[in-house]
Amino acid sequence: ISPAADPAVISPQDPTLLIGSSLVATCTVSPDFHLKAEDLYWTLNGRRLPAASYAALGPTTLSVALARLNGSKQQSGDNLVCHSRDGGILAGSCLYVGLPPEKPVNITCWSKNMKDLTCKWAPGTEGETFLHTNYTLKYKLRWYGRDNTCQEYHTAGPYSCHIPKDLALFTPYEIWVEASNRLGVAVSDVVMLDILDVVTTDPPSDVHVSRVGDLEDQLSVRWSSPPALKDFLFQAKYQIQYRVEDSSEWKVVDDVGNQTSCRLAGLRPGTVYFVQVRCNPFGIYGSKKAGIWSDWSNPTAASTPRSERAAGGCDPKGGEQNTTLRRELKQFFGWVKKHAYGCSNLGIKLYDQWRVWLQKSHKTRNQVGKEP
Amino acid sequence: GDSWGIFTFLCAALCNLPALPALNCTEELGAGQSIQKTYDLTRYLEHQLRTLAGTYLNYLGPPFNEPDFNPPRLARAERVPSATVDLDLWRGLTDNARLAANYRAYSRLLCYLRALDGQAGTAELRHRLGHFCSSLQGLVLSIAGVMSSLGYPLPAGPAGPPASPGTPVAPNDFLKKMDDFWLLKELQTWLWRSAKDFNRLKKKVPPAVVTLRLEARGF
Repeated sequence: ISPAADPAVISPQDPTLLIGSSLVATCTVSPDFHLKAEDLYWTLNGRRLPAASYAALGPTTLSVALARLNGSKQQSGDNLVCHSRDGGILAGSCLYVGLPPEKPVNITCWSKNMKDLTCKWAPGTEGETFLHTNYTLKYKLRWYGRDNTCQEYHTAGPYSCHIPKDLALFTPYEIWVEASNRLGVAVSDVVMLDILDVVTTDPPSDVHVSRVGDLEDQLSVRWSSPPALKDFLFQAKYQIQYRVEDSSEWKVVDDVGNQTSCRLAGLRPGTVYFVQVRCNPFGIYGSKKAGIWSDWSNPTAASTPRSERAAGGCDPKGGEQNTTLRRELKQFFGWVKKHAYGCSNLGIKLYDQWRVWLQKSHKTRNQVGKEP
Repeated sequence: GDSWGIFTFLCAALCNLPALPALNCTEELGAGQSIQKTYDLTRYLEHQLRTLAGTYLNYLGPPFNEPDFNPPRLARAERVPSATVDLDLWRGLTDNARLAANYRAYSRLLCYLRALDGQAGTAELRHRLGHFCSSLQGLVLSIAGVMSSLGYPLPAGPAGPPASPGTPVAPNDFLKKMDDFWLLKELQTWLWRSAKDFNRLKKKVPPAVVTLRLEARGF
């Protein structure tokens, strides 16, 4: 039914334009269609353009003038359409209106256990070019000729790339990002780095947090150094952060050095704490620079022993009894976990045993003397 | 949540089939279940398509995403297999022909979908498209499974090259947008039609085992 030729031809077809520029487009109807210039009208992104901007350039050609174009409404291009009087679509042209890309900036890279390299960057100011912009990360070894192109994009956010293998140590890399779109190309500054200076690793494994005897204001944290780097000569720095269960404020312990254990002091008694540890593998193979901190380990929880308040020790009032009992039960379950080793004989006998134990330790503590 | 779980399992199972003849061992019991699964897949895809089409048409921009958009179907658009068919013709289709039509259509549609511009569009759009293509691949395999379990040969020839000779790739960006629009429309029509096709097949093939499990979880 449809004729072989297209109903109409628009010129220019799919042009690329700078924001603010003007355009005159023409629509020429095929003779098979028996339409005249005055039977036509234009729409841009579905909205009819004012007839005042039209001009008939011939019996079958209608033009439209567009001034001071804004950036394209969608990256697939603005839809400029030539219609016949009854609304039918005769032809269309996609207008790509935007800006050339800006130089990408803030290139940062890290290597996981010296096995790979991931880099991320930011588009130049604002980044809104209205046009689809392609980013290519390139790298080469200093003093060697060949440019390489990174292939795996978006691994750590929209502006990132991952180089999974064939990385050399001891020679610096030159890394840069090229941004290109229909209106031009922009190249970032070159970043030079040595893989050994940007090493990060997995968080420490086997993080254990336990009480220090009966001390009610201390917890002991132990962990293992990350296994992936165990064959490499490096120094590790660790950091611990902890918070009380119902707070979002983390306290950081910075001066842990390269021990794999630490004692937290000055804590609140009878409180549940969440603890995390992370590692910085600096000085790998003698690198002088700081490494990159790993992610925090999964939070490990532990509670400090509950202190016996002299006032509330013996006969709590009716209202208070519930809260005291609740707290005791909480401590009880903690104790059971520690001493019962998954024993399923939970019952009142075990609870009584625990009350006896509590009374004994209460007596001992009172003998030693209470600190404020 | 739930539906996606079932579907992932189905896709994993179907895509890992080394050779379709493996279905022969449960032939009699298998056909009824396979048809039900295929029916459920078409409903699931129909649901997925609504979101995908919405996102894609917004990317194409107005007027493509306007509800009353009705562009002309130019001759070139015929490369996308049409689901529209004469009612009597449709009712008179043999089981083999019915299944073969579905198999051929979705194989071609899958090719065209995969060829949708992979570079442009947002990451979200590319992700949704990729996800939908995997699901559609699952449907193609499921139909092949039904055909095999009923003893029908799979339609011969490649699953349809993206551009057969005589219908070139769109000559300009606007016409390409029109092609994309019609591709999504035909996909939608096919999924509506397939639900009816498989419903019909369900009634004709005696279900040796009635699968209540999948039916109970409406999509």
